[in-house]
Amino acid sequence: MSFIDDPQFGNTMITLMAALVLVLQIATVGQRWLITTIRIFAVQSFFLAAIAGTIAFFNQANHLYIAALLTLVLKAILLPFLLERTVERVGIRKEIEPLINVPLSLLISGCLTLVGYVVAESFYHPEETSAQSALGHNTLAVAIALFLIGFFMMLNRRKALTQVLGLLSMENGLFLAAISLTYGMPLVVELGIFFDVLVAVMVFGILAYRIGESFDSMDVSKLRSLRG
Amino acid sequence: MILLWLLLIPFVAGPLAFVLRRRPFMEAVNLATFALVACLAAALSAQVLQRGPVSFWDGFLYADALSALIVLLTAFVALVCSIYAVGYFRHDEKYTFFDENEEVLGELAVYKLRKYYSLMPLFVFSMLLVALANNLGILWVAIELTTLASVFLVTFYGRKTSLEAAWKYAIIGGVGLSMALFGTILTYYSAHRIQGTETLAGLNWSVLVQNAARFDKTTMRLAFILILLGYGTKAGIAPMHTWKPDAYSEAPVPVAAMLAAGVLNCALYGLVRFYVLTSKCLGPQFGSQILIVFGLLSMGVAVPFVLVQRSFRRLLAYSSIDHGGIMVLALGFGGPLGILGMLLHMTFHSITKPLLFFSAGNIQQHLKTDLFRKAKGGLIHSMPWSGAGFLMATLAVTGSPPFSLFQSEFTILRAAFGGGYLLPAILFVSFLVAIFSGFLVHIANLVLGPDPGLPPAETCRWKKSSLLGLATVIIVLGFWIPAPLFSLIQSAADLVVSAR
Repeated sequence: MSFIDDPQFGNTMITLMAALVLVLQIATVGQRWLITTIRIFAVQSFFLAAIAGTIAFFNQANHLYIAALLTLVLKAILLPFLLERTVERVGIRKEIEPLINVPLSLLISGCLTLVGYVVAESFYHPEETSAQSALGHNTLAVAIALFLIGFFMMLNRRKALTQVLGLLSMENGLFLAAISLTYGMPLVVELGIFFDVLVAVMVFGILAYRIGESFDSMDVSKLRSLRG
Repeated sequence: MILLWLLLIPFVAGPLAFVLRRRPFMEAVNLATFALVACLAAALSAQVLQRGPVSFWDGFLYADALSALIVLLTAFVALVCSIYAVGYFRHDEKYTFFDENEEVLGELAVYKLRKYYSLMPLFVFSMLLVALANNLGILWVAIELTTLASVFLVTFYGRKTSLEAAWKYAIIGGVGLSMALFGTILTYYSAHRIQGTETLAGLNWSVLVQNAARFDKTTMRLAFILILLGYGTKAGIAPMHTWKPDAYSEAPVPVAAMLAAGVLNCALYGLVRFYVLTSKCLGPQFGSQILIVFGLLSMGVAVPFVLVQRSFRRLLAYSSIDHGGIMVLALGFGGPLGILGMLLHMTFHSITKPLLFFSAGNIQQHLKTDLFRKAKGGLIHSMPWSGAGFLMATLAVTGSPPFSLFQSEFTILRAAFGGGYLLPAILFVSFLVAIFSGFLVHIANLVLGPDPGLPPAETCRWKKSSLLGLATVIIVLGFWIPAPLFSLIQSAADLVVSAR
């Protein structure tokens, strides 16, 4: 048996890649250049696809290969391309000062990661996990952390596009949760979700572009004429 | 087969209208589509009543009484909206209301109309898919699709404020729905460990409901809270309601009516499906308390905003938040009466709400504003039909007898007392009274009073017929519910109750 077939090796790889995903997520929290944020998202999605591929390999879950491939094509290549084009067209490259400064934001992200681990604890059932099925269970904490940090990013940032990126990383967190808990949703559902994400990014891109055009800024905190 | 046609017809009609371009054709396509969909929906309800649940493609599409009720309501609202839309957009086009900044009016009008007439069937398609999808994942996908299909309908007028409204609508909806997706994943997880299936059927509601009692309790608890937050956001339950007044006041009237009377039902439908699973797994008590809190909160939030409201379009949105709250509250009271009350309320609300929107739309088009302070009152003199319709719809929607919403609210109240929820019942009644008085004062000031000397509004065949037709249906429903409709609602309620 070569080391590639060893579940222990797979487990290590998945843990390593999940850790990288989390580190990249925290890196976006402090990032102010829009293009860099988008590229970090692309790399993060690449690792996500790799995790999905690894889990598919060790569990013979064939439908997960398709999900991994779609993640790679859609989230690591196509969506970053679309978003970068929007950035080019609007011509706004830098995020303005976030509401909470960077050191404090990083601290909050750390706390959210901790929350992720505490919540994930309640899903851990040691009595029934064999080595094979335990694979990827430790990524649940990372998934919840991604979801929470993405949400925090949406609250903290004011540029329309950064908010979209926050939403997308929440979705990445959900994808990771789905593959770590159940080896992915049924394929049809997975396809539907990918389709929705694609359409959503196009819709959000057009909206962000038009907001940038008519307000001369993508600062969504300027959207405050509707009240009461 | 009928299930497939229900989805296929609006799905094809959207691109068809897009290709046809000419206004009369697009109008005809929309009217024909929604008339057909309404007929099919009635046929589906009849079939479900006679022969029980219908399914298609190994249960991929599935309709029981509850789905049939939602399909019927959606189809009805879509039909009346499409009739009204013809008159509404012709008026808009005639008075070049589309955008003040643009010069090329002819081109722009065609572009905008094309947008409306091709997106609207897709919007209705996504709502029908919500009701007909058996798979809870597909249900989520469809609810997300309703947002995506309607974002550009909210930006229809291209004003800065409509961009703002659409942004809030899309972002808040997106965050909310990602929570709902998390809830769906957790539900799948807890089912997965029991059923061990990796096929599509693993998330089918009709399969899940049989095994729900054995699901993992901790997971289901978290899942239900996430689902409530998620679909609650889509339904505009407080405190996730903030997108609602903006989107409702900026969208064109037929779209706003569709959001208020169609999407609200779809979101609550998703919630009910999960409520059934949760109450089977954890007992009905767990869901009830949270639902009652959220329901009362929504009603309570609506009260001050209704009382001091400055714009009648936003007033309607707060009314919708209030009614969403009432339905969630009724679901929380539970029991045969509570569930029946909720579904009755949903039915009557969907039938009454469009009238309120249509008359408000007519008034807004006539006055070119939706602010109370710019309207001089006495509208009944210059626009007798819309004025009277607005007043009647106000009375109906605030639940005064003899209109049908009174009956459903009374049923809910009986459920509250029957279940021993004394304090929520008292709050429920006082919020209802406050909203009734606030609403009535605003609308009476707007409609009644001495003649301010406005020129009489021109009446259009389409607008008038949709207004009068709806008013007739509302009055008739106040005194007589057709037996098949009631038995459909009753069997939908039984479906939810029997799962406990």
